[in-house]
Amino acid sequence: MTPAALLLFATLAFPVGYTVYISFAEINLGTFTPDEWVGWDNYLTALEDDRFWDSLSVTGIYLVFALPLQMFLGFAIAFLINASWKGRGIVRAAFIIPMVVAPVIAGGIWRMLLDPLWGIANYVIGTVGLGPIDWLGDPYWAMTTVILIDTWRWTPFVTLIASAALLTLPRDVFEAAEIDGANWWTMLWRITLPLLVPMIAATFVVRWLGAVKMFDIALAATHGGPGRATTVVNLFIYEEAFRSLKFAESAAMSLIILVVTMVLTGIFLRGTKMLEERH
Amino acid sequence: MSATTTRSGTHRRRAAILRQFRIWSGVVACVLFLLPIAWMLITSIKQQRDIFTTPPKIIFAPTLDTYVAYLTNNDLPERMLNTLIVAGGAGVISIVAGAMAGYALARVKLRGATTIGVLILLSRGVPPIALAVPMFLVARAMGLLDKHITLILAYCTFLIPYVMWLMRGFFKALPEELEEAAKIDGCTRFGAFFRIIVPISLPGLLSTLIFSIILAWEELLFALVLTNRAASTVPVVISGIAGDTVNGANWGALTAVGTMTVIPVVIFALLVQKWLIQGLADGATKG
Repeated sequence: MTPAALLLFATLAFPVGYTVYISFAEINLGTFTPDEWVGWDNYLTALEDDRFWDSLSVTGIYLVFALPLQMFLGFAIAFLINASWKGRGIVRAAFIIPMVVAPVIAGGIWRMLLDPLWGIANYVIGTVGLGPIDWLGDPYWAMTTVILIDTWRWTPFVTLIASAALLTLPRDVFEAAEIDGANWWTMLWRITLPLLVPMIAATFVVRWLGAVKMFDIALAATHGGPGRATTVVNLFIYEEAFRSLKFAESAAMSLIILVVTMVLTGIFLRGTKMLEERH
Repeated sequence: MSATTTRSGTHRRRAAILRQFRIWSGVVACVLFLLPIAWMLITSIKQQRDIFTTPPKIIFAPTLDTYVAYLTNNDLPERMLNTLIVAGGAGVISIVAGAMAGYALARVKLRGATTIGVLILLSRGVPPIALAVPMFLVARAMGLLDKHITLILAYCTFLIPYVMWLMRGFFKALPEELEEAAKIDGCTRFGAFFRIIVPISLPGLLSTLIFSIILAWEELLFALVLTNRAASTVPVVISGIAGDTVNGANWGALTAVGTMTVIPVVIFALLVQKWLIQGLADGATKG
C-alpha cells in the first residue's frame, strides 16, 4: 500500500495541487515559474474565451454521438459473434487487434483512407456512384470522421467486454422462456437487456472515463480542424499550454474540466448503483 | 400433438436461420473492422508510385524499402528502444506498486476502503492535460525534461490506479483460507503475499502487466510534452509523420512505422487474449 500511495501522491496529487497553485498565478516565461498572485483572473479569462466554450461543445457533441454508438455497436456485435461455431475463437481474437492499435496510428491510417484525392474510401463509394465526400475538410464531415475513427478504435473494446458478459448470463432462464414459447425479440427485451443493465452501465462508465480524455485521434486525424471544428477540449488546452505558452490559463481550464468530469462521473456512478439495485 | 410438433419445428428452423445470420454478420463485422489494418499492411509494402494511384492498386511489386530505410538511416530504432524502456519500466513499477496496494485494499480491513476504491476510479477521470502542464513545469525546473524516468513516472499516474483496480478484484476472488494457512505455518503477511498469493495470481499479474505496457506503449500526450529528442517515443514520431503538412502525406512511412509499432503489441495481446478479455470484463465491473 505505502509504495503505491507514495508514488500516486508524487505523480498524481502533487501535480494536481501544483496545477491549482499555478491556476491562481501568472507564469513568468523567463523562468517558467509562477511569480504573481492573480486570484481568479485565469478562470475569468478562460470562461470569457469563446474558443474554450467551442471546444467544450465539440467535446460534448463527440461524447453524445460516439458513446451511445459504441455501446450499441459493441453489444450488438458481441451478440453476433457469440453464436457458437468453430470459428468463434478466431473472430473474437480478431477483435482484439483494432483495440491495441495506438490511437495516433488509428488517426493517421484513417486520414490516409479518407484522403480526398487518393484515399480508398472515396474510391469505394465512388464505384457505387456516391461522393466524393470531403471527409476531413468539411466541418460537419470532419466531426463525423472523428466520431467514426473513435468508434472504429473503441467498439471492439466494448464488444470484448460485452461478449464476456453475455457468456455469464444464466442459460436456464432462456431455456425456460423458450419452452414458454417466447420469441427471441421478447427474450431480448424482457430477459437479456434487464440482466445486462448493470454490465452496460459499468462498461459505459469505463468508456466515458476514456472518452473524456480523447486527444490523440483528433490530433492525428484532423489536428482539430478544419478551423477548430474538431478541437476537443483536451487538444485545445494542449495547444494553449504548449503552443501559446499560456500555462496559467491552461491550468485554470484543465481544472474546470477536472471538476466537470468528476461531477459527471459521480452522477454516472450513482446512476449505475441505482440501476444495479433496481434489478 | 401434431400442432406442437410443427410449431417447435418452425421454431427450430428459425433458430437455425438466426444462428446462420449471427455467424455470417459477425464475420462481416470482423472483416470490416480489420480492413483498415489490412490496408495499412498493404500500403507499407508498396513503392511510392504504387501508393498514389486511382484506382488504388491491389496488385503491385511488393518492396520492403520503407522498412529498411526507417530501420537503418533513421533514429527510429532509438525511439523504439526508448518506447520499450519507458513502457517496460512504467509497467513493472506499476504492477509491483499497484498489485501490493490492490492486495491491501482487498484484504486489510481499512476504514474507508470503499472511499479509496471510489477515489481510485475517480482518479482515472483526471484529464492528463491537468497533469501534463505542472509536470512539464516541474520537470523543466528540475532539469528532468527529455529523461526516461520522467516519462515512466508520468505513466504511473494512470497505470497504478488501473492495476490497483484490476488486481483488487482479482485478489478479492481468492479464498482467504490461503493466507490463513500460511500464517499458521509462521508466514508474515508479506511472506504470505509473496510466497502464496503472487505465484497463484501469476497469470492475472502477467496479463495486467502486458496490458499496462500496451497502454504506455501507445501513449502520446505525455510523450509529446515531456520529451523532445533523447527520450522521445514512437507515437511522437508517428504524430509527426501524420501531421507533416510541409512535405505532404508520407503514407509509406506512416504505414511502415505504424505496422512495426502494432505488430509486437498484437502478438503480445493475442498471446494473453484469454486473460485480457477477462481482465477487461473484470475491470469494468468488479468494485
